[in-house]
Amino acid sequence: MIEVKNLIKTFEGRGQVVRAVDDVSTQVAKGEVVVIIGPSGSGKSTFLRCLNGLEEFNDGQVIIDGIDLTESKTNLNAVRREVGMVFQHFNLFPHKTVLENVTLAQRVVRQRKPAEANERAMKLLTKVGIAEKANEYPSRLSGGQQQRVAIARALAMDPKVMLFDEPTSALDPEMVGEVLDVMKQLAREGMTMAVVTHEMGFAREVADRVMFMDAGRILEDAPPARFFTAPKEPRAQAFLKQVL
Amino acid sequence: MILLVLAVGLWFATQRIHYEWRWERVPQYFAYRAEVSQDTPVAGRVSAITPEGRSNRIEITPEGGGQPVTVTVEQAQVKVGDAVAENDTVGVNFQWRVGPLTQGLWVTIWISFVSGFIGLAIGLVTGLCRISKNPTLRGLAIIYIELIRGTPLLVQIFIFYFFIGTVLNLDRIVAGVGALALFVGAYTAEIIRAGIQSIAKGQTEAARSLGMSATQTMIYIVLPQAFKRVLPPLAGQFISLIKDSSLVSVIAITDLTKSGREIITSSFATFEIWFTVALLYLLVTAVLSQLLFWLERRFARSD
Repeated sequence: MIEVKNLIKTFEGRGQVVRAVDDVSTQVAKGEVVVIIGPSGSGKSTFLRCLNGLEEFNDGQVIIDGIDLTESKTNLNAVRREVGMVFQHFNLFPHKTVLENVTLAQRVVRQRKPAEANERAMKLLTKVGIAEKANEYPSRLSGGQQQRVAIARALAMDPKVMLFDEPTSALDPEMVGEVLDVMKQLAREGMTMAVVTHEMGFAREVADRVMFMDAGRILEDAPPARFFTAPKEPRAQAFLKQVL
Repeated sequence: MILLVLAVGLWFATQRIHYEWRWERVPQYFAYRAEVSQDTPVAGRVSAITPEGRSNRIEITPEGGGQPVTVTVEQAQVKVGDAVAENDTVGVNFQWRVGPLTQGLWVTIWISFVSGFIGLAIGLVTGLCRISKNPTLRGLAIIYIELIRGTPLLVQIFIFYFFIGTVLNLDRIVAGVGALALFVGAYTAEIIRAGIQSIAKGQTEAARSLGMSATQTMIYIVLPQAFKRVLPPLAGQFISLIKDSSLVSVIAITDLTKSGREIITSSFATFEIWFTVALLYLLVTAVLSQLLFWLERRFARSD
């Protein structure tokens, strides 16, 4: 489903070049849940943002469902509607109600009729447990509720892949659970997911594979059982000692 | 208390220069009853005048005899027995007419409205060009903004009227509205640019990640939020525009200011007319200001 070959992304700042993603190659199969962990600044968010072209990368290839992002005739917008993304800071549209947040892209991108879009939206809002707030503005919702709306908004496009960029990092601890529950349910339904997170419990329980990133490279890529009990890399061992 | 002291001070000041206030002269410049003269269609002699309600029926017997002709007027200017020639005025009717102050006020309002509307469109386009990735568009936008902001509006109006207006054979109204629109457009462009740039990057990213194009993102996500945020500075700009529109009186457009000046030359009520003109400007700007404030509160629903 996702294929990454020799991906390189560099940032230039104050005369020095930082390789945020340094020659990364990997793939994610259909229905697989991959959790990416690592210390801050290790390039995991940047890597994730390269997967839907939100971040322009310098070299390498990203192939989503057989479509190469780097090819000049690829319509990035067409690829992006197949790839849902959930952000750390939710990024709901504050001037639209919850329902409008979920229906807008369905109508303007997928060209669905308002009735059809509303029906799909209400179904998803019910699924994430927030249907009763459909006509509220996002500012009236708690962080956890906003993030669940954001997940519903991404799902409304019927994506083939979902990317999660630290979805629980900006939440109060008591709200983390409700968002993780929605994500677990998605994983059970067979959604292909790439998740950047600091929630080790989630990684252990839900992930098919755990990737450990540091300094722009994938140092370890293993099933959670093996990764959490017997990591090979010393850098991963040190990281796990800190967080567990 | 302070206002009272001010009023008394003003009264004393005018006393000292022996100014005679003639406020009663002002209302006629808003609306007045005009005399419309009524003529007789035939030559002859006035045979009878009979009052009929508020008007009078004048009967005129033609010179060669025959059926008397009647003319109805509100105020007769002939007496029974007077000889009248064809098309002589026999009396007058009264009719309400709009005075020059009202006409000037109307011109000021519509000129401001039209140039404000065009200016907003120019500002939106220029603001978008100003942040475009295309260096030519960006450069042109910057040159336009700097040119307009760096020269006085009065000079721009003169250039527009005397140079561009002459070359392109423009009407003075078109020249005046054009100059005002270009002027307000440059300021609006900067306001809109700042508004767009103040919207968090995450909004654009969220929209793009849903597959929306750059244009769709601008229309559905960024501009509505930016517009809400720039409404207060835009309101200030449009209130300024109403006041700045008084400058078009220099190219002989009879707006509120020019009407005021013309009335003073005939009425000599200098102080009263200028106070009235100021009050009328205040009235228009206050109404606009309330309208925009109401709009602002409506937009604040989603906060």
